[in-house]
Amino acid sequence: MDFGLVLPTGARESKDVDLAIIGGGPAGLSAGIYAKRAGLEAIIIDKGNAGGLAEEAPYVENYLGFIGIKGEDLVKEFKEHAMNYVEISERNEVEEIKREGGLFVIKAEKGEYKTKAIIFATGTTHKVLGVPGEKELFGKGVSYCVTCDGYFYRGKKVAVIGGGNSGAIAAIYLKDIGVEPVVLEYMPRFMCEKAYENIIKERNIPYYTNVQVTSIEGKDKVEKVVYKDRNTGETKEVEVEGVFVYVGLIPISDLAKNLGVKTDEKGYIKVDLKMRTNVPKVYAAGDVTGYAGQIIIAAGQGAMAALSAYEDLMLH
Amino acid sequence: MGYIQDKDKKYLKGEFDKNLKEDVYILVFVGDNCQYCSVASAISQEVAELHPKIHFEEHTIGDELSKEYGLEHAPTVVITDKDKYGGRIRYVGLPSGYEFSSMIEDIIDVSRRMAEVSQEVLEKLMKIDKPILIQIFVTPTCPYCPRAVRTSHRFAILNKNITGEMVEALEFPEWADKWKVMSVPHIVINEDVQFIGAYPDEQYIEYVVEAYEKMR
Ligand SMILES: Cc1cc2nc3c(=O)[nH]c(=O)nc-3n(C[C@H](O)[C@H](O)[C@H](O)COP(=O)(O)OP(=O)(O)OC[C@H]3O[C@@H](n4cnc5c(N)ncnc54)[C@H](O)[C@@H]3O)c2cc1C
Repeated sequence: MDFGLVLPTGARESKDVDLAIIGGGPAGLSAGIYAKRAGLEAIIIDKGNAGGLAEEAPYVENYLGFIGIKGEDLVKEFKEHAMNYVEISERNEVEEIKREGGLFVIKAEKGEYKTKAIIFATGTTHKVLGVPGEKELFGKGVSYCVTCDGYFYRGKKVAVIGGGNSGAIAAIYLKDIGVEPVVLEYMPRFMCEKAYENIIKERNIPYYTNVQVTSIEGKDKVEKVVYKDRNTGETKEVEVEGVFVYVGLIPISDLAKNLGVKTDEKGYIKVDLKMRTNVPKVYAAGDVTGYAGQIIIAAGQGAMAALSAYEDLMLH
Repeated sequence: MGYIQDKDKKYLKGEFDKNLKEDVYILVFVGDNCQYCSVASAISQEVAELHPKIHFEEHTIGDELSKEYGLEHAPTVVITDKDKYGGRIRYVGLPSGYEFSSMIEDIIDVSRRMAEVSQEVLEKLMKIDKPILIQIFVTPTCPYCPRAVRTSHRFAILNKNITGEMVEALEFPEWADKWKVMSVPHIVINEDVQFIGAYPDEQYIEYVVEAYEKMR
C-alpha cells in the first residue's frame, strides 16, 4: 500500500491580517500565494485539510503540467507551495464574521482574526439525492466519498448515482481498486467529458441512462437501488452493496450571505470578472462562484481575487 | 532511501524547531505476523531523527508497557510524554496518508503539553471523570478523518480519563466489520455510542458526554 505521507501546516495563533482567505482548496491556496507575493499579510483558514474537494479527486488528468496525477498528490504540491508563503490554519472552522469599525472580525474554532478584506474560497458540499433510504442508510452503504470509502467494497458491486464528471471519475476509480461499479444517469446520454466516456466504455463499466432513482433499499445495509426507467416508465432495480452519490454540489455561501453578499438563486456567490462581490473588500473564488467546477479555474480565480484585494487595499 | 522525502524532512524540522518544548516519545509496539510493523517503526524512527527532543522506542505487544497501556494490536503507535499521557494518544495500524499529519500534530501538542479547545468545550470536557475510550476508524485516503482523530487526541491531552485510538480500518477488517464500518471517519465511544463524520468540537463533545452519561 502506498498512501504517501501528508504533512500538517502548523499554524495555530489568532492574528490580525490584511486579507483572510476562508477555505484552503485550490482557489484559496492560489489566492494565498498571490496575496503574499503582492505584499499583503494573509492567512488561509480551512475547517478541514487544506486541499479541499480536490483531495477527493482520485485522478486528475486535466490540470496543466500534469498528464495524470492523484488529487491527493496534486494538492500536496499546491499546499507545500503555498506554505512557503502564507500561514495556513487547518481544522479551524470559521463560525461567524462580524464587522467592527472598518474591519471584519472572523470567529473561528481556534481563534479570532481581524482583517481588512476577505476572500470566500469555501467551495461546495455534496448534494444529497433526497430519495427514501438515502439518509437512513448513510454509513451503511450510502457514501459521498469514493477515496474515503471505496476500499470497503472491493470485490463487491456498487451503484454510482450521477454520471457527470465526478460520478464518472468515481466509477473509474472504483473499477481500478477492484470494485464493480454501475453508473446510473438521469439524462438520456453520457454527461461526462468524452475522455471519461471512452475509459468507461473501454473498461466495460455499465452506464445506464434515463434512470430516475426512486429509492435506496436494504434492511441494515444497502441491498438495492430502485429506479424508474424514464424510457419505458418501468420500475427496475439493481442489487448492490454500496451506493456512491455524485449528483452535484451545493455552494457553501451562508457566511458570505450574512455579510450581505449577493448570490444567485442556487446560492453561488455573484462576482464580477475581477472576483469582487457586491460588498466592498469581499471577494469570492473557486467553486463557490459556480463557474466550471475545475481545479485550474478555481486556482485562476483565486489568483484574480487576491490581485483585486491588493489593488483595493494598497492602491486606492 | 527513507520513507520521508528530503524536502518534507526539511519542512518538518522547521516545524519541530519552532514548536517543540518538552521531550516526546514515539513508542511503536510491534508483534508477530505484522505486515506494517517494520514500516511503522521505520517512519517513526525517521521522524525522531529530525529533532533531539523526539525519542523513538520499539516495544512488543505483550510486554509490560503494552499491558500497562492496554494495547493488543500491532502495530500500535503511541505518542506520549511517558507520564501523564501514558498510552492514551494512539494509532492502531500505520499512521500513513492523511494520518501522518495527525501524528505530527500530536507530537507538537504532546511536546507543548497542551491543546486548544474553546472554553465551552473545555468545561464539558473537564466534567468527564470516568474512563472514556474514543475509537476512530479511518482509511489513509480519507481527507476528513484526521479532524476526527485529532479531536479525540486533543481531548486526551486535556483530560486524563480520555483515550483516543485511531484504528486503520483496512488493516483490521474484522474489527471494522464488528462495528459495520462502511463510511469513515466512523467513531465508536466506549464501544457504545457511535457516529459517522468529522464534526466540530462542539458536536463531538456531545457524543462523548452522551457516552459518559450512559455509564452512570
Ligand atoms: C470525485 C471528484 C473528482 C474530481 N476530479 C476533478 C478533476 O479531475 N479535475 C478537476 O479540475 N477538478 C476535479 N474535481 C473538482 C475539484 O475538486 C474542484 O473544482 C476544486 O476542488 C474547487 O476548488 P475550490 O478551492 O473552489 O473549493 P474546494 O476545493 O471545495 O475547497 C473549499 C475549502 O473551503 C473549506 N471551507 C468551507 N467552509 C469553511 C468554513 N466555514 N471555515 C473554514 N473552511 C471552510 C473547505 O473545508 C474546503 O477545504 C473533482 C471533484 C470530485 C468530487
